[in-house]
Amino acid sequence: MTLRHIHPRHWGWGLLALYTALFFVFVFAPIAVVVAVSFTAEQGVQFPFRGTSLQWYVRLWEYKPFVDSLITSIYLALASAVSAMILAVPAALYLGRAGNGATATAIASFLLAPLAIPALVIGMSLLYFLSAIGIGVSFTALLIAHTVVSIPYVMRTTLSVYRNINQNLGEAAAVLGASPWRAFVHVTLPLIAPGIFAGSLFAILVSLDNLALSYFFGTANVTTLPVVMLSYMQNQFDPAIAAISTVQMAISIILLLIVEKTYGLRALTTQ
Amino acid sequence: MPAALAPSSQAARIGAPARSGRWLLILPALVSLVVFFAGPLAQNAGQSLNFKSGGLLDNYVKLLTDDYYLKVVVETLVVSFNTTVLTLVVAYPVAYFMVRRAGRMALPMLFLLVAPLLTSIIMRTFGWRVLFARRGVVNGALEWLHLIKHPLSLLDGPFSVYVGQVHILVPFMVLSIIPVLRAVDTRLEESARVLGAGALRTFLKVTLPLSKDGIVTGVILVFMLTAGSFITQLLLGNGSIVTLPLLIFQQFALTQDIGLASAMGNLLLIVVLACLVVQLRLTEGGKRSGR
Repeated sequence: MTLRHIHPRHWGWGLLALYTALFFVFVFAPIAVVVAVSFTAEQGVQFPFRGTSLQWYVRLWEYKPFVDSLITSIYLALASAVSAMILAVPAALYLGRAGNGATATAIASFLLAPLAIPALVIGMSLLYFLSAIGIGVSFTALLIAHTVVSIPYVMRTTLSVYRNINQNLGEAAAVLGASPWRAFVHVTLPLIAPGIFAGSLFAILVSLDNLALSYFFGTANVTTLPVVMLSYMQNQFDPAIAAISTVQMAISIILLLIVEKTYGLRALTTQ
Repeated sequence: MPAALAPSSQAARIGAPARSGRWLLILPALVSLVVFFAGPLAQNAGQSLNFKSGGLLDNYVKLLTDDYYLKVVVETLVVSFNTTVLTLVVAYPVAYFMVRRAGRMALPMLFLLVAPLLTSIIMRTFGWRVLFARRGVVNGALEWLHLIKHPLSLLDGPFSVYVGQVHILVPFMVLSIIPVLRAVDTRLEESARVLGAGALRTFLKVTLPLSKDGIVTGVILVFMLTAGSFITQLLLGNGSIVTLPLLIFQQFALTQDIGLASAMGNLLLIVVLACLVVQLRLTEGGKRSGR
Protein backbone atom coordinates (compact mmCIF):
# COMPACT_ATOMS: atom_id res chain seq x y z
CA MET A 1 0.00 0.00 0.00
CA THR A 2 2.66 2.48 1.05
CA LEU A 3 4.82 1.60 -1.90
CA ARG A 4 1.98 2.40 -4.25
CA HIS A 5 1.74 5.86 -2.74
CA ILE A 6 5.46 6.52 -2.90
CA HIS A 7 5.75 5.47 -6.51
CA PRO A 8 3.23 7.07 -8.81
CA ARG A 9 3.15 4.20 -11.27
CA HIS A 10 -0.43 3.01 -10.97
CA TRP A 11 -0.71 3.38 -14.71
CA GLY A 12 2.14 0.91 -15.12
CA TRP A 13 0.31 -1.78 -13.18
CA GLY A 14 -2.94 -0.83 -14.92
CA LEU A 15 -1.28 -1.36 -18.25
CA LEU A 16 0.11 -4.67 -17.11
CA ALA A 17 -3.31 -5.77 -15.84
CA LEU A 18 -4.81 -4.84 -19.20
CA TYR A 19 -2.09 -6.77 -20.98
CA THR A 20 -2.74 -9.83 -18.81
CA ALA A 21 -6.48 -9.60 -19.51
CA LEU A 22 -5.77 -9.43 -23.26
CA PHE A 23 -3.42 -12.36 -22.86
CA PHE A 24 -6.22 -14.50 -21.47
CA VAL A 25 -8.47 -13.39 -24.32
CA PHE A 26 -5.71 -14.58 -26.66
CA VAL A 27 -5.51 -17.90 -24.77
CA PHE A 28 -9.24 -18.59 -24.85
CA ALA A 29 -10.41 -16.98 -28.10
CA PRO A 30 -9.52 -19.87 -30.41
CA ILE A 31 -11.04 -22.40 -28.02
CA ALA A 32 -14.26 -20.45 -27.46
CA VAL A 33 -14.72 -19.89 -31.16
CA VAL A 34 -14.47 -23.61 -31.89
CA VAL A 35 -17.05 -24.46 -29.23
CA ALA A 36 -19.34 -21.79 -30.67
CA VAL A 37 -18.90 -22.92 -34.28
CA SER A 38 -19.80 -26.49 -33.32
CA PHE A 39 -23.36 -25.27 -32.72
CA THR A 40 -23.72 -23.46 -36.04
CA ALA A 41 -26.80 -23.89 -38.21
CA GLU A 42 -24.82 -22.88 -41.29
CA GLN A 43 -23.26 -25.24 -43.77
CA GLY A 44 -19.74 -23.88 -43.52
CA VAL A 45 -17.27 -22.66 -40.94
CA GLN A 46 -17.91 -18.98 -40.41
CA PHE A 47 -17.91 -16.82 -37.36
CA PRO A 48 -20.05 -14.99 -36.48
CA PHE A 49 -22.84 -17.23 -37.78
CA ARG A 50 -26.63 -17.12 -37.93
CA GLY A 51 -28.73 -19.68 -36.09
CA THR A 52 -27.76 -22.55 -33.85
CA SER A 53 -28.35 -26.25 -34.27
CA LEU A 54 -26.99 -29.63 -33.28
CA GLN A 55 -26.65 -30.76 -36.88
CA TRP A 56 -22.88 -31.15 -36.68
CA TYR A 57 -23.17 -33.39 -33.64
CA VAL A 58 -25.65 -35.49 -35.56
CA ARG A 59 -23.14 -35.62 -38.40
CA LEU A 60 -20.47 -36.85 -35.95
CA TRP A 61 -22.72 -39.61 -34.82
CA GLU A 62 -23.31 -40.62 -38.43
CA TYR A 63 -19.68 -40.44 -39.51
CA LYS A 64 -18.36 -43.81 -38.46
CA PRO A 65 -14.60 -43.06 -38.39
CA PHE A 66 -15.12 -40.37 -35.72
CA VAL A 67 -17.11 -42.66 -33.44
CA ASP A 68 -14.82 -45.66 -33.93
CA SER A 69 -11.61 -43.73 -33.45
CA LEU A 70 -12.98 -41.93 -30.40
CA ILE A 71 -13.75 -45.28 -28.81
CA THR A 72 -10.28 -46.55 -29.75
CA SER A 73 -8.68 -43.41 -28.32
CA ILE A 74 -10.51 -43.66 -25.01
CA TYR A 75 -9.82 -47.37 -24.72
CA LEU A 76 -6.15 -46.80 -25.60
CA ALA A 77 -5.76 -43.91 -23.14
CA LEU A 78 -7.22 -45.95 -20.28
CA ALA A 79 -5.29 -49.11 -21.16
CA SER A 80 -1.98 -47.30 -21.46
CA ALA A 81 -2.61 -45.44 -18.18
CA VAL A 82 -3.26 -48.75 -16.40
CA SER A 83 -0.16 -50.33 -17.95
CA ALA A 84 1.86 -47.30 -16.95
CA MET A 85 0.54 -47.55 -13.36
CA ILE A 86 1.55 -51.20 -13.13
CA LEU A 87 5.07 -50.35 -14.30
CA ALA A 88 5.61 -46.91 -12.81
CA VAL A 89 4.20 -47.23 -9.28
CA PRO A 90 6.69 -49.92 -8.19
CA ALA A 91 9.44 -47.86 -9.81
CA ALA A 92 8.38 -44.81 -7.79
CA LEU A 93 8.33 -46.92 -4.60
CA TYR A 94 11.88 -48.01 -5.33
CA LEU A 95 13.19 -44.55 -6.22
CA GLY A 96 11.42 -42.89 -3.30
CA ARG A 97 13.58 -44.83 -0.85
CA ALA A 98 16.68 -45.21 -3.01
CA GLY A 99 18.31 -41.96 -1.90
CA ASN A 100 20.11 -39.50 -4.12
CA GLY A 101 22.96 -41.69 -5.28
CA ALA A 102 24.26 -41.55 -8.82
CA THR A 103 22.54 -44.78 -9.87
CA ALA A 104 19.15 -43.81 -8.51
CA THR A 105 19.38 -40.36 -10.12
CA ALA A 106 20.40 -41.86 -13.45
CA ILE A 107 17.51 -44.35 -13.35
CA ALA A 108 15.03 -41.61 -12.46
CA SER A 109 16.27 -39.45 -15.35
CA PHE A 110 16.03 -42.39 -17.72
CA LEU A 111 12.45 -43.17 -16.70
CA LEU A 112 11.51 -39.51 -17.27
CA ALA A 113 13.33 -39.34 -20.62
CA PRO A 114 10.34 -40.18 -22.86
CA LEU A 115 8.90 -36.78 -21.85
CA ALA A 116 11.84 -34.96 -23.38
CA ILE A 117 12.13 -36.81 -26.68
CA PRO A 118 9.80 -35.68 -29.51
CA ALA A 119 6.89 -38.13 -29.80
CA LEU A 120 7.45 -38.20 -33.55
CA VAL A 121 10.95 -39.64 -33.08
CA ILE A 122 9.76 -42.18 -30.50
CA GLY A 123 6.90 -43.24 -32.77
CA MET A 124 9.03 -43.58 -35.86
CA SER A 125 11.81 -45.54 -34.12
CA LEU A 126 9.31 -47.76 -32.35
CA LEU A 127 7.57 -48.55 -35.63
CA TYR A 128 10.85 -49.75 -37.17
CA PHE A 129 11.59 -51.77 -34.06
CA LEU A 130 8.14 -53.34 -33.66
CA SER A 131 8.01 -54.19 -37.36
CA ALA A 132 11.37 -55.91 -36.99
CA ILE A 133 10.09 -58.11 -34.15
CA GLY A 134 6.80 -58.80 -35.92
CA ILE A 135 4.31 -56.65 -34.02
CA GLY A 136 3.93 -54.02 -36.72
CA VAL A 137 0.92 -51.75 -36.85
CA SER A 138 -1.78 -52.91 -34.45
CA PHE A 139 -3.53 -51.96 -31.25
CA THR A 140 -0.71 -53.68 -29.34
CA ALA A 141 1.78 -51.37 -31.02
CA LEU A 142 -0.34 -48.33 -30.11
CA LEU A 143 -0.57 -49.57 -26.52
CA ILE A 144 3.19 -50.05 -26.24
CA ALA A 145 3.90 -46.61 -27.69
CA HIS A 146 1.42 -44.83 -25.44
CA THR A 147 2.56 -46.73 -22.35
CA VAL A 148 6.18 -45.68 -22.95
CA VAL A 149 5.10 -42.04 -22.88
CA SER A 150 2.67 -42.50 -19.97
CA ILE A 151 5.23 -44.05 -17.59
CA PRO A 152 7.03 -40.75 -16.83
CA TYR A 153 3.79 -38.94 -15.97
CA VAL A 154 2.66 -41.56 -13.46
CA MET A 155 6.18 -42.05 -12.07
CA ARG A 156 6.77 -38.34 -11.55
CA THR A 157 3.61 -37.52 -9.60
CA THR A 158 3.66 -40.77 -7.61
CA LEU A 159 7.31 -40.22 -6.66
CA SER A 160 6.76 -36.66 -5.50
CA VAL A 161 3.79 -37.67 -3.32
CA TYR A 162 5.61 -40.73 -1.97
CA ARG A 163 8.66 -38.65 -1.01
CA ASN A 164 6.46 -36.32 0.99
CA ILE A 165 4.57 -38.90 3.03
CA ASN A 166 5.74 -39.88 6.46
CA GLN A 167 7.96 -42.95 6.22
CA ASN A 168 7.21 -43.80 9.83
CA LEU A 169 3.63 -44.70 9.00
CA GLY A 170 4.75 -47.71 6.99
CA GLU A 171 7.17 -48.68 9.74
CA ALA A 172 4.47 -48.27 12.36
CA ALA A 173 2.26 -50.68 10.44
CA ALA A 174 5.16 -53.12 10.28
CA VAL A 175 5.86 -52.82 14.01
CA LEU A 176 2.20 -53.48 14.67
CA GLY A 177 2.61 -56.72 12.79
CA ALA A 178 1.34 -55.95 9.32
CA SER A 179 2.94 -57.91 6.54
CA PRO A 180 4.76 -55.80 3.94
CA TRP A 181 1.92 -56.37 1.48
CA ARG A 182 -0.76 -55.42 4.05
CA ALA A 183 1.26 -52.35 5.07
CA PHE A 184 1.48 -51.36 1.42
CA VAL A 185 -2.20 -51.89 0.59
CA HIS A 186 -3.62 -50.33 3.75
CA VAL A 187 -1.11 -47.60 4.52
CA THR A 188 1.15 -46.62 1.63
CA LEU A 189 -1.24 -47.10 -1.29
CA PRO A 190 -4.03 -44.84 0.04
CA LEU A 191 -1.42 -42.18 0.75
CA ILE A 192 0.13 -42.22 -2.71
CA ALA A 193 -3.17 -42.70 -4.57
CA PRO A 194 -3.58 -38.97 -5.33
CA GLY A 195 -0.17 -38.98 -7.03
CA ILE A 196 -1.01 -42.08 -9.03
CA PHE A 197 -4.33 -40.66 -10.21
CA ALA A 198 -2.97 -37.22 -11.00
CA GLY A 199 -0.19 -38.78 -13.08
CA SER A 200 -2.63 -41.09 -14.83
CA LEU A 201 -4.89 -38.16 -15.63
CA PHE A 202 -2.01 -36.32 -17.27
CA ALA A 203 -1.10 -39.48 -19.15
CA ILE A 204 -4.69 -39.92 -20.36
CA LEU A 205 -5.00 -36.30 -21.48
CA VAL A 206 -1.71 -36.52 -23.37
CA SER A 207 -2.62 -39.87 -24.91
CA LEU A 208 -5.97 -38.57 -26.17
CA ASP A 209 -4.21 -35.79 -28.06
CA ASN A 210 -1.03 -37.56 -29.15
CA LEU A 211 -1.16 -37.42 -32.92
CA ALA A 212 2.58 -37.79 -33.49
CA LEU A 213 2.74 -41.05 -31.58
CA SER A 214 -0.42 -42.61 -32.97
CA TYR A 215 0.20 -41.61 -36.56
CA PHE A 216 2.67 -44.42 -37.25
CA PHE A 217 0.62 -47.29 -35.85
CA GLY A 218 -2.86 -46.72 -37.18
CA THR A 219 -4.38 -49.26 -39.54
CA ALA A 220 -7.51 -48.92 -41.65
CA ASN A 221 -9.49 -50.56 -38.85
CA VAL A 222 -7.75 -49.32 -35.73
CA THR A 223 -6.73 -45.71 -35.52
CA THR A 224 -7.01 -42.91 -32.99
CA LEU A 225 -9.13 -39.78 -33.00
CA PRO A 226 -6.38 -37.19 -33.68
CA VAL A 227 -5.28 -39.13 -36.76
CA VAL A 228 -8.84 -39.25 -38.11
CA MET A 229 -9.38 -35.57 -37.28
CA LEU A 230 -6.23 -34.59 -39.14
CA SER A 231 -7.06 -36.50 -42.28
CA TYR A 232 -10.65 -35.21 -42.18
CA MET A 233 -9.41 -31.65 -41.82
CA GLN A 234 -7.02 -32.04 -44.72
CA ASN A 235 -9.88 -33.12 -46.98
CA GLN A 236 -12.69 -30.88 -45.87
CA PHE A 237 -13.06 -27.85 -43.67
CA ASP A 238 -16.43 -28.00 -41.96
CA PRO A 239 -17.82 -27.60 -38.42
CA ALA A 240 -17.73 -31.37 -37.79
CA ILE A 241 -14.15 -30.86 -36.57
CA ALA A 242 -15.44 -28.22 -34.15
CA ALA A 243 -18.06 -30.62 -32.85
CA ILE A 244 -15.69 -33.54 -32.31
CA SER A 245 -13.13 -31.19 -30.69
CA THR A 246 -15.81 -30.00 -28.30
CA VAL A 247 -16.75 -33.58 -27.45
CA GLN A 248 -13.11 -34.40 -26.76
CA MET A 249 -12.75 -31.31 -24.56
CA ALA A 250 -15.89 -32.31 -22.64
CA ILE A 251 -14.44 -35.77 -22.02
CA SER A 252 -11.20 -34.25 -20.69
CA ILE A 253 -13.12 -31.88 -18.42
CA ILE A 254 -15.23 -34.74 -17.06
CA LEU A 255 -12.09 -36.77 -16.33
CA LEU A 256 -10.58 -33.80 -14.56
CA LEU A 257 -13.73 -33.32 -12.49
CA ILE A 258 -13.73 -37.00 -11.49
CA VAL A 259 -10.16 -36.75 -10.22
CA GLU A 260 -11.00 -33.44 -8.57
CA LYS A 261 -14.02 -34.92 -6.76
CA THR A 262 -12.00 -37.93 -5.65
CA TYR A 263 -8.74 -36.34 -4.61
CA GLY A 264 -8.98 -32.59 -4.96
CA LEU A 265 -7.04 -30.41 -7.33
CA ARG A 266 -4.16 -30.07 -4.87
CA ALA A 267 -2.92 -33.45 -6.04
CA LEU A 268 -2.73 -32.08 -9.58
CA THR A 269 -0.48 -29.21 -8.65
CA THR A 270 2.32 -31.45 -7.34
CA GLN A 271 5.03 -31.65 -9.91
CA MET B 1 24.65 -52.04 17.40
CA PRO B 2 23.75 -49.01 19.61
CA ALA B 3 20.62 -49.71 21.60
CA ALA B 4 18.95 -46.46 20.51
CA LEU B 5 18.96 -47.52 16.88
CA ALA B 6 17.52 -50.95 17.54
CA PRO B 7 13.77 -50.21 17.24
CA SER B 8 13.90 -48.41 13.98
CA SER B 9 16.28 -50.81 12.28
CA GLN B 10 14.22 -53.68 13.58
CA ALA B 11 11.12 -52.02 12.16
CA ALA B 12 12.89 -51.56 8.88
CA ARG B 13 13.77 -55.22 8.87
CA ILE B 14 10.22 -56.28 9.55
CA GLY B 15 8.76 -53.62 7.28
CA ALA B 16 10.84 -54.67 4.35
CA PRO B 17 12.13 -58.17 4.83
CA ALA B 18 12.95 -58.28 1.16
CA ARG B 19 15.04 -55.12 1.36
CA SER B 20 17.74 -56.83 -0.63
CA GLY B 21 15.07 -57.60 -3.21
CA ARG B 22 13.84 -54.01 -3.46
CA TRP B 23 15.53 -53.57 -6.81
CA LEU B 24 12.91 -55.94 -8.23
CA LEU B 25 10.47 -53.03 -7.98
CA ILE B 26 12.37 -50.98 -10.54
CA LEU B 27 12.83 -53.87 -12.93
CA PRO B 28 9.50 -53.84 -14.87
CA ALA B 29 9.66 -50.14 -15.73
CA LEU B 30 13.37 -50.23 -16.43
CA VAL B 31 13.21 -53.25 -18.71
CA SER B 32 10.14 -51.91 -20.55
CA LEU B 33 11.82 -48.63 -21.34
CA VAL B 34 15.13 -50.22 -22.27
CA VAL B 35 13.35 -52.53 -24.72
CA PHE B 36 10.65 -50.21 -26.10
CA PHE B 37 12.30 -46.80 -25.77
CA ALA B 38 16.09 -46.86 -25.64
CA GLY B 39 16.32 -49.92 -27.89
CA PRO B 40 14.30 -48.47 -30.78
CA LEU B 41 16.12 -45.13 -30.56
CA ALA B 42 19.45 -46.94 -30.71
CA GLN B 43 18.25 -49.12 -33.58
CA ASN B 44 17.11 -46.01 -35.41
CA ALA B 45 20.51 -44.39 -34.87
CA GLY B 46 22.19 -47.52 -36.25
CA GLN B 47 19.85 -47.56 -39.20
CA SER B 48 20.81 -43.99 -40.07
CA LEU B 49 24.41 -45.02 -40.64
CA ASN B 50 25.51 -46.27 -44.01
CA PHE B 51 27.41 -49.55 -43.76
CA LYS B 52 27.48 -50.19 -47.47
CA SER B 53 29.87 -48.58 -49.89
CA GLY B 54 30.49 -44.91 -49.29
CA GLY B 55 30.86 -43.07 -46.01
CA LEU B 56 29.35 -44.16 -42.71
CA LEU B 57 27.74 -40.74 -42.27
CA ASP B 58 26.51 -40.36 -45.85
CA ASN B 59 22.92 -39.69 -44.77
CA TYR B 60 24.02 -36.91 -42.44
CA VAL B 61 26.29 -35.44 -45.08
CA LYS B 62 23.27 -35.34 -47.37
CA LEU B 63 21.10 -33.66 -44.72
CA LEU B 64 23.72 -31.02 -43.99
CA THR B 65 24.96 -30.27 -47.50
CA ASP B 66 22.00 -30.79 -49.85
CA ASP B 67 20.41 -27.39 -50.40
CA TYR B 68 16.87 -28.54 -49.69
CA TYR B 69 17.59 -30.58 -46.56
CA LEU B 70 20.02 -28.04 -45.15
CA LYS B 71 17.34 -25.38 -45.54
CA VAL B 72 14.94 -27.58 -43.58
CA VAL B 73 17.47 -28.23 -40.81
CA VAL B 74 18.28 -24.52 -40.51
CA GLU B 75 14.58 -23.64 -40.61
CA THR B 76 13.92 -26.07 -37.74
CA LEU B 77 16.41 -24.21 -35.58
CA VAL B 78 15.34 -20.73 -36.71
CA VAL B 79 11.62 -21.39 -36.22
CA SER B 80 12.24 -22.91 -32.78
CA PHE B 81 14.43 -19.96 -31.81
CA ASN B 82 11.93 -17.35 -33.02
CA THR B 83 9.03 -19.12 -31.37
CA THR B 84 10.94 -19.33 -28.10
CA VAL B 85 11.82 -15.61 -28.11
CA LEU B 86 8.24 -14.62 -28.98
CA THR B 87 6.86 -16.92 -26.28
CA LEU B 88 9.21 -15.44 -23.69
CA VAL B 89 8.22 -11.88 -24.63
CA VAL B 90 4.52 -12.73 -24.41
CA ALA B 91 4.84 -14.80 -21.22
CA TYR B 92 7.12 -12.74 -18.99
CA PRO B 93 4.77 -9.83 -18.27
CA VAL B 94 1.98 -12.29 -17.48
CA ALA B 95 4.16 -14.22 -15.04
CA TYR B 96 5.27 -10.91 -13.52
CA PHE B 97 1.71 -9.72 -13.04
CA MET B 98 0.58 -13.06 -11.62
CA VAL B 99 3.37 -13.13 -9.03
CA ARG B 100 3.34 -9.45 -8.03
CA ARG B 101 -0.19 -8.20 -8.38
CA ALA B 102 -2.67 -11.05 -8.84
CA GLY B 103 -2.95 -11.78 -5.11
CA ARG B 104 -5.93 -14.02 -4.44
CA MET B 105 -6.56 -14.19 -8.19
CA ALA B 106 -3.23 -15.97 -8.74
CA LEU B 107 -4.61 -19.48 -8.23
CA PRO B 108 -7.65 -19.07 -10.51
CA MET B 109 -5.36 -17.50 -13.11
CA LEU B 110 -2.99 -20.43 -12.85
CA PHE B 111 -5.94 -22.71 -13.47
CA LEU B 112 -6.99 -20.67 -16.52
CA LEU B 113 -3.44 -20.89 -17.80
CA VAL B 114 -3.38 -24.70 -17.82
CA ALA B 115 -7.03 -25.14 -18.84
CA PRO B 116 -6.21 -25.09 -22.59
CA LEU B 117 -4.26 -28.31 -22.04
CA LEU B 118 -7.68 -29.98 -21.82
CA THR B 119 -8.23 -29.25 -25.50
CA SER B 120 -6.51 -30.89 -28.42
CA ILE B 121 -3.86 -29.09 -30.43
CA ILE B 122 -5.97 -29.68 -33.52
CA MET B 123 -8.87 -27.86 -31.83
CA ARG B 124 -6.75 -24.81 -31.01
CA THR B 125 -5.31 -24.79 -34.53
CA PHE B 126 -8.80 -25.02 -36.01
CA GLY B 127 -9.78 -22.06 -33.82
CA TRP B 128 -7.10 -19.90 -35.41
CA ARG B 129 -8.30 -20.90 -38.86
CA VAL B 130 -11.76 -19.63 -37.94
CA LEU B 131 -10.50 -16.41 -36.34
CA PHE B 132 -8.01 -15.60 -39.10
CA ALA B 133 -10.31 -16.48 -42.01
CA ARG B 134 -10.73 -13.91 -44.78
CA ARG B 135 -14.16 -12.99 -43.49
CA GLY B 136 -13.30 -13.96 -39.93
CA VAL B 137 -13.40 -12.08 -36.64
CA VAL B 138 -9.92 -10.58 -36.81
CA ASN B 139 -10.28 -9.17 -40.33
CA GLY B 140 -13.78 -7.96 -39.42
CA ALA B 141 -12.50 -6.13 -36.36
CA LEU B 142 -9.62 -4.53 -38.26
CA GLU B 143 -11.99 -3.31 -40.96
CA TRP B 144 -14.44 -2.01 -38.38
CA LEU B 145 -11.60 -0.05 -36.79
CA HIS B 146 -10.71 1.27 -40.26
CA LEU B 147 -7.20 -0.04 -39.89
CA ILE B 148 -7.44 -1.95 -43.16
CA LYS B 149 -9.54 -1.53 -46.29
CA HIS B 150 -9.36 -5.07 -47.61
CA PRO B 151 -9.18 -8.30 -45.64
CA LEU B 152 -5.64 -9.48 -44.96
CA SER B 153 -4.61 -13.03 -45.74
CA LEU B 154 -3.54 -14.03 -42.28
CA LEU B 155 -3.58 -17.78 -42.80
CA ASP B 156 -1.18 -20.19 -44.49
CA GLY B 157 1.95 -18.19 -43.81
CA PRO B 158 4.60 -17.80 -41.13
CA PHE B 159 2.41 -15.32 -39.19
CA SER B 160 -0.34 -17.81 -38.39
CA VAL B 161 2.20 -20.55 -37.66
CA TYR B 162 3.96 -18.37 -35.08
CA VAL B 163 0.69 -17.27 -33.48
CA GLY B 164 -0.44 -20.89 -33.25
CA GLN B 165 2.87 -22.09 -31.79
CA VAL B 166 3.14 -19.28 -29.25
CA HIS B 167 -0.44 -19.96 -28.20
CA ILE B 168 0.29 -23.62 -27.52
CA LEU B 169 3.62 -23.07 -25.75
CA VAL B 170 3.04 -19.93 -23.71
CA PRO B 171 1.56 -21.73 -20.65
CA PHE B 172 4.77 -23.75 -20.31
CA MET B 173 6.86 -20.58 -20.32
CA VAL B 174 4.69 -18.78 -17.76
CA LEU B 175 4.72 -21.85 -15.51
CA SER B 176 8.52 -22.02 -15.71
CA ILE B 177 9.02 -18.36 -14.79
CA ILE B 178 6.46 -18.07 -11.97
CA PRO B 179 8.24 -20.11 -9.25
CA VAL B 180 11.56 -18.35 -9.81
CA LEU B 181 10.00 -14.91 -9.88
CA ARG B 182 8.14 -15.74 -6.69
CA ALA B 183 11.46 -16.50 -4.99
CA VAL B 184 12.95 -13.11 -5.92
CA ASP B 185 13.23 -10.97 -2.80
CA THR B 186 11.17 -7.84 -3.49
CA ARG B 187 13.25 -5.96 -0.91
CA LEU B 188 16.12 -6.00 -3.41
CA GLU B 189 13.91 -4.16 -5.89
CA GLU B 190 12.79 -1.71 -3.23
CA SER B 191 16.41 -1.06 -2.30
CA ALA B 192 17.26 -0.33 -5.90
CA ARG B 193 14.33 2.09 -6.09
CA VAL B 194 15.26 3.81 -2.83
CA LEU B 195 18.80 4.20 -4.12
CA GLY B 196 17.38 6.09 -7.07
CA ALA B 197 17.07 3.55 -9.86
CA GLY B 198 14.11 4.06 -12.17
CA ALA B 199 11.42 1.41 -12.62
CA LEU B 200 12.88 0.20 -15.90
CA ARG B 201 16.44 0.18 -14.58
CA THR B 202 15.35 -1.74 -11.49
CA PHE B 203 13.62 -4.26 -13.66
CA LEU B 204 16.53 -4.71 -16.06
CA LYS B 205 19.29 -4.71 -13.46
CA VAL B 206 17.61 -6.51 -10.55
CA THR B 207 14.41 -8.40 -11.38
CA LEU B 208 15.35 -9.77 -14.77
CA PRO B 209 18.78 -11.16 -13.77
CA LEU B 210 17.29 -12.72 -10.62
CA SER B 211 14.63 -14.52 -12.64
CA LYS B 212 17.23 -15.87 -15.06
CA ASP B 213 16.85 -19.48 -13.89
CA GLY B 214 13.16 -19.56 -14.70
CA ILE B 215 13.76 -17.97 -18.07
CA VAL B 216 16.44 -20.53 -18.92
CA THR B 217 14.18 -23.44 -17.90
CA GLY B 218 11.28 -22.07 -19.93
CA VAL B 219 13.40 -21.22 -22.94
CA ILE B 220 14.94 -24.68 -23.18
CA LEU B 221 11.60 -26.40 -22.61
CA VAL B 222 9.83 -24.33 -25.26
CA PHE B 223 12.69 -24.72 -27.73
CA MET B 224 12.63 -28.50 -27.31
CA LEU B 225 8.86 -28.70 -27.64
CA THR B 226 8.86 -26.52 -30.77
CA ALA B 227 11.70 -28.45 -32.38
CA GLY B 228 9.62 -31.62 -32.17
CA SER B 229 6.23 -30.26 -33.24
CA PHE B 230 4.68 -30.03 -36.67
CA ILE B 231 0.88 -29.88 -36.39
CA THR B 232 0.64 -26.07 -36.36
CA GLN B 233 3.00 -25.84 -39.33
CA LEU B 234 0.99 -28.44 -41.16
CA LEU B 235 -2.43 -26.92 -40.54
CA LEU B 236 -1.62 -23.20 -40.44
CA GLY B 237 1.48 -22.90 -42.62
CA ASN B 238 0.44 -24.54 -45.88
CA GLY B 239 4.03 -25.35 -46.74
CA SER B 240 5.43 -21.90 -45.98
CA ILE B 241 7.45 -23.37 -43.12
CA VAL B 242 8.95 -26.84 -43.43
CA THR B 243 10.91 -28.19 -40.46
CA LEU B 244 12.43 -31.60 -39.76
CA PRO B 245 9.43 -33.02 -37.86
CA LEU B 246 7.04 -31.83 -40.57
CA LEU B 247 9.26 -33.34 -43.26
CA ILE B 248 9.43 -36.64 -41.36
CA PHE B 249 5.67 -36.63 -40.94
CA GLN B 250 4.95 -35.86 -44.59
CA GLN B 251 7.57 -38.11 -46.15
CA PHE B 252 7.44 -41.08 -43.83
CA ALA B 253 4.79 -42.98 -45.74
CA LEU B 254 6.26 -42.06 -49.12
CA THR B 255 9.99 -42.38 -48.75
CA GLN B 256 11.90 -45.46 -49.80
CA ASP B 257 15.06 -44.16 -48.21
CA ILE B 258 14.77 -45.54 -44.68
CA GLY B 259 18.35 -44.59 -43.85
CA LEU B 260 17.68 -40.93 -44.61
CA ALA B 261 14.41 -40.95 -42.67
CA SER B 262 16.23 -42.44 -39.69
CA ALA B 263 18.95 -39.82 -39.98
CA MET B 264 16.32 -37.05 -39.93
CA GLY B 265 14.77 -38.52 -36.79
CA ASN B 266 18.14 -38.99 -35.18
CA LEU B 267 19.23 -35.45 -36.02
CA LEU B 268 16.09 -34.17 -34.31
CA LEU B 269 16.95 -36.36 -31.33
CA ILE B 270 20.46 -34.90 -31.22
CA VAL B 271 19.10 -31.33 -31.25
CA VAL B 272 16.84 -32.15 -28.29
CA LEU B 273 19.58 -33.98 -26.38
CA ALA B 274 21.89 -31.00 -26.91
CA CYS B 275 19.21 -28.81 -25.29
CA LEU B 276 19.05 -31.21 -22.34
CA VAL B 277 22.82 -31.13 -21.90
CA VAL B 278 22.80 -27.32 -21.93
CA GLN B 279 19.99 -27.33 -19.38
CA LEU B 280 21.86 -29.79 -17.13
CA ARG B 281 25.01 -27.66 -17.31
CA LEU B 282 23.14 -24.48 -16.48
CA THR B 283 21.09 -25.91 -13.62
CA GLU B 284 24.11 -27.60 -12.09
CA GLY B 285 26.16 -24.43 -12.43
CA GLY B 286 23.41 -22.16 -11.20
CA LYS B 287 22.02 -21.81 -7.73
CA ARG B 288 19.22 -23.92 -6.37
CA SER B 289 16.94 -20.89 -6.16
CA GLY B 290 14.67 -22.29 -8.83
CA ARG B 291 13.43 -25.16 -6.74
